[in-house]
Amino acid sequence: MRPCLLALSLVSLWPSFLHADDGVDFFEKKVRPVFAEHCYSCHSASAKKEKGGLRLDSTDAIKAGGDSGPVVMPKDEKSLLLQVVAHGADAPAMPPKQKLPEAAIADLRKWVMLGAPLPAAVATRSGIDAVARQFWSFQPAAELAVPGVSDAKWPRQKLDFFILQKLDEQKLEHAPVADRRTLIRRVYFDLIGLPPTFEQVEEFVADRRADAYGKVVEELLASPRFGEKWGRHWLDVARYAEDNSTSESTCKPPRFPYRYRDWVIEAFNADVPFDRFVRLQLAGDLMPGTEPSDYAALGFLGLSPVYHKEPKLSKDVIASIVADEWDERVDVITRGFLGLTVACARCHDHKFDPISAEDYYALAGVMSNTQLAERPLKPNADAAEDALTSVRRDLLDATMRLGYAQEQRRTAQKERKSTAEVDQQIKLFEARVADLRKREKGLDTGPALNVVRDAGTTVNGDDPAWTVVDYRPGTFRNLPVFIRGNPTRPGKEVPRRFLEVLASGEPRPFRKGSGRLELAEAITTDARSLTARVIVNRTWGWVFGRYLVNTPSNFGALGERPSHPELLDDLAARFIAKNWSMKWLVRELVTSATYQQSSRHIEKFAAVDPDDRWMWRAPRKRLELEAWRDATLQVSGQLNLAGGGPSENLDDLRSKHRTVFGKVSRERPADIHRLFDLPDPRGHGEKREVTTTPVQQLYFLNSPFVRQASVKLANSASEGRTGEDVAIELFRRVLLREPTTAELATAMRLVQPMNEGSTPAWELLAQTLLASNEFLFLN
Amino acid sequence: MNDYDPSDSFGPSRRSFLRELGGSVGLLGLASYLQATDAPAVPALVPGKPHFTPRAKRVIFLFMAGGPSHLDMFDPKAALEKFAGKRPDATDLRTERVTGGVLPSAFRFRPGGKSGLPVSDLLPNIRGCADELCVLRSVYATNPNHSPAANFLASGRIDAIHPGIGAWVSYGLGSENANLPGFVSLGGGFGQVGFERSGYLPGQFQATRVAAAEADPEKMIRHLRNPAIGQDDQQRQLDALQSFNRTHAAANGHDPLLEARVRAMETAFRMQSAAGEAFDTRREPQKVRDTYGRGEFARGCLLARRLVERGVRFVQLSLGGWDHHARINSELKKKCDEIDRPIAALLKDLRQRGLLDDTLVVWGGEFGRTPVSENGDGRDHNHYGFTMWLAGGGVKGGFSHGSTDEFGFKAAENPVSVHDLHATILHLLGLDHEKLTYRYSGRDFRLTDVHGRIVNEILA
Repeated sequence: MRPCLLALSLVSLWPSFLHADDGVDFFEKKVRPVFAEHCYSCHSASAKKEKGGLRLDSTDAIKAGGDSGPVVMPKDEKSLLLQVVAHGADAPAMPPKQKLPEAAIADLRKWVMLGAPLPAAVATRSGIDAVARQFWSFQPAAELAVPGVSDAKWPRQKLDFFILQKLDEQKLEHAPVADRRTLIRRVYFDLIGLPPTFEQVEEFVADRRADAYGKVVEELLASPRFGEKWGRHWLDVARYAEDNSTSESTCKPPRFPYRYRDWVIEAFNADVPFDRFVRLQLAGDLMPGTEPSDYAALGFLGLSPVYHKEPKLSKDVIASIVADEWDERVDVITRGFLGLTVACARCHDHKFDPISAEDYYALAGVMSNTQLAERPLKPNADAAEDALTSVRRDLLDATMRLGYAQEQRRTAQKERKSTAEVDQQIKLFEARVADLRKREKGLDTGPALNVVRDAGTTVNGDDPAWTVVDYRPGTFRNLPVFIRGNPTRPGKEVPRRFLEVLASGEPRPFRKGSGRLELAEAITTDARSLTARVIVNRTWGWVFGRYLVNTPSNFGALGERPSHPELLDDLAARFIAKNWSMKWLVRELVTSATYQQSSRHIEKFAAVDPDDRWMWRAPRKRLELEAWRDATLQVSGQLNLAGGGPSENLDDLRSKHRTVFGKVSRERPADIHRLFDLPDPRGHGEKREVTTTPVQQLYFLNSPFVRQASVKLANSASEGRTGEDVAIELFRRVLLREPTTAELATAMRLVQPMNEGSTPAWELLAQTLLASNEFLFLN
Repeated sequence: MNDYDPSDSFGPSRRSFLRELGGSVGLLGLASYLQATDAPAVPALVPGKPHFTPRAKRVIFLFMAGGPSHLDMFDPKAALEKFAGKRPDATDLRTERVTGGVLPSAFRFRPGGKSGLPVSDLLPNIRGCADELCVLRSVYATNPNHSPAANFLASGRIDAIHPGIGAWVSYGLGSENANLPGFVSLGGGFGQVGFERSGYLPGQFQATRVAAAEADPEKMIRHLRNPAIGQDDQQRQLDALQSFNRTHAAANGHDPLLEARVRAMETAFRMQSAAGEAFDTRREPQKVRDTYGRGEFARGCLLARRLVERGVRFVQLSLGGWDHHARINSELKKKCDEIDRPIAALLKDLRQRGLLDDTLVVWGGEFGRTPVSENGDGRDHNHYGFTMWLAGGGVKGGFSHGSTDEFGFKAAENPVSVHDLHATILHLLGLDHEKLTYRYSGRDFRLTDVHGRIVNEILA
């Protein structure tokens, strides 16, 4: 870490961690973990009943002691603490049930004799620094008055005024409106991810009515294809995938991932208000009146990456793997919905944003009470879900135990040792597996959804030879701060609650179950301005190809500032006022004058603003991989618009459905996913990078997919046509226009048969057009 | 936010450049290959500059997936004989599986080369190269399971999210050959994916995967050739394509985004023949091929030499099958026979061609194995202490560093963590592991996370 980072760090909860002297370090490493593990259950803020008026979870409390007086006297062997842990005659024995291990007692003694060093007391956080709350993205968003501009006739939507105002300031000029061919191709791809046909283009070009464009926009917004395009945008955010990085017994692929994908697509088509969209995905199961099919929304968490947890590993190792899983979920929620990098606060307070480690563990605590589960797709399935989830979990455990016992038996046999004991175990486990199988059969195993349910999660290391993760529905737990992110070093326990900086007032501890619903509500109420800004900015980027805030998942101090803060605020406020309607928002953007500009180039503007930050023209975009593949299938007459249900393998030449219905794998990504910049679904995808590499171009030149499309396209275009007519037809289908004279000549030279009498090589031309920049890029 | 370190010679430019990616153009794609002098129009970008003078310019990473037994190959332990079949009380030799008594190595160790570095009879040819080897006998990792441990060796993390070392090096230094990818992964199988991954680094830094099982380059590299179109036709096709693209670019203000793809297309076209040449080991004289021996791994080693010779920065060659839970004596022998000649030939070949001085060869698995037996005649995973070795670019030859305990179970003297190994490899390449960072999700990430100490003791 660069040294200057430290100088910038904000309020530090535990300053001593940064420059820990040995004593405090000893306390943190050796003493606090003992307190946390053996004493907190009765002596901490979260204890059900604080015993003896004593708390051991903060510096002040330890110094204050309890009803029996001071518990620690520095450098004094007679300190009450040392007496009670010794289980001697003159003091109560603590912990009452079981004496501490000798090593722990020795550590406590050493600590007392060192002078009982403690970290500096922390002032109770009576609220985040007022300055921190002043940061732009934490401000409430409000509608703003239209600013004065140089040309009041240009704007078509309110947002255009803000764009033009900045252009005026920068002494740049907006572009003229794009020609109609460009415009219709652009709006088709942006709204439904498919190109128009040549006939649709011609019709639009000929339609001079004033509302022609508006009508096309309405048609596209109403098309089922809209959700297929826009759902995919969201699936990047939600790091949707259908398996895990590996597929050992404890991280097998989920069985019904596609039901979440289909739900997202349908939600965009149905224009589910975005705030409800958020709540359903985080806590649909905890909301009243959720339809059985809407439980599919829980796939947002229910398809989270799962890592292998080998039971033979120690409790510490498993605890850190489980903590990694929670971390990934905290990350996708906070970056995805709030544009905040809360996961940075896992090991220490966030160095740049007003997010403490306590904030992090308050949210991780919600995840520590949330279990991935399967739920039958039917009404009132709670009980069936619980039964299914428990039986499956028990079955997995029993099967693994059986497997291990069988392995032990083989070893014993080879070493010519008695197998009697292990045979007993095998019998036991076999019976258990058989019994569980029977019970599983009796359960509802019809169509189901990958969801989550509330259940307190703990890593159980009672058996040092077999570590298991326990899930207890109805029992909920807070997490302690893991010091430096290490689960074996628990610090102060934190109630589950929302981020302090975003909460209105002191954040209240979550009371209902895991707290997922309260979290979802906080995201869409307390934090509504930020949440709206984040999704408005994403939508802007999905439409324009560049973002107002160019770090769409980081609205914190290290993120970029908005290029058009007033525009973003106004749009966010109006978006909320329009009942969080995504279709309203998309319509607002694509019917703006800004959107309808041409992408014309002006050297002196490019010199001032090469990135087109101020929108002096429509940005040029490379088609996203889904749009490019779908368009290739469509123009070659192969696209099958049926969709939904189990996924297709995208590397299979027989796969002819829209790319959004192709399998997304964390373990074995499809060729085109790897080559064309699908964000790695092992984690939240902030935005799509656009890389241009030679290996990608080999795909255009040589891949079976492009070759097949070229042949199909050539065959169908040359049916009933000859000579230049075929070339013209190919240009119409792929580039949606007629070739120029020069292009036609080039095309005919290319396809000219080598030998007199053989047929022209139309597939050469077809492939050339499919590989052309004009087809791959959107003006 | 000004968090650039002025001593970071390429940090700011690289980072600001990467940051602009989303907003401006796909120029980045050019960075790793646009070194060729025939690249006009687009501003030349120096792909990567080391932080200081490198000792090695290229890496060949030989990954032995499954966990080769250091106790039978590079780390002789007399105590194994002494305690044969027993379970010494004094030491906790417990691992995740059921294990029995101490299992002595069935293979004799003998000194090799002038240095006298001991290598077992399993690897007579490699023993012949003992003076090139820098053996690290005290490497340790954190996780006893294959996937997490392989991820850890590849990326410094047990999860499957972070970029592998090859991607980091590619990101840091780029490629030296405009017509070939900078990072090539040979061989497949378990664990390879972690090494190929670019994670949050831009996609261009991921490995180009090549199926070394094939001898024909067209079968090795996906989409390298078009079986339906002859070379002449494809040349004409490219001419037509570029003519259309030029017209299109002229009408669109010569957008760098468009120009970049035009260049990439030309490079791809050239790559078809350049890769066809580079990846074709059949072009080697029979004598050379004989020295390496037969089989996929041998071809991989020869290919690795051809690639580093042509400026590929990082070659990842993996070989699975080292997970010897049972019948270790016979199975390990087979495995060692597979690697012994090819690796020795690779080291000698690199030396003869003067390439070994600035090529770093790394050998090892995700962990080693236990001194105690499993299934009677096997060994369990052991991440507490195992052996890896380096050779060439900037490390001492005929040298061993660190040691395991009496039984070869845990790293004891001068332990070297996987992070230390990563820091040292980057150091040899002229990269400061604390400065080679990438901003993602609000943090500057490093290959070595917050760890890593350069093992100065092994630097030549």
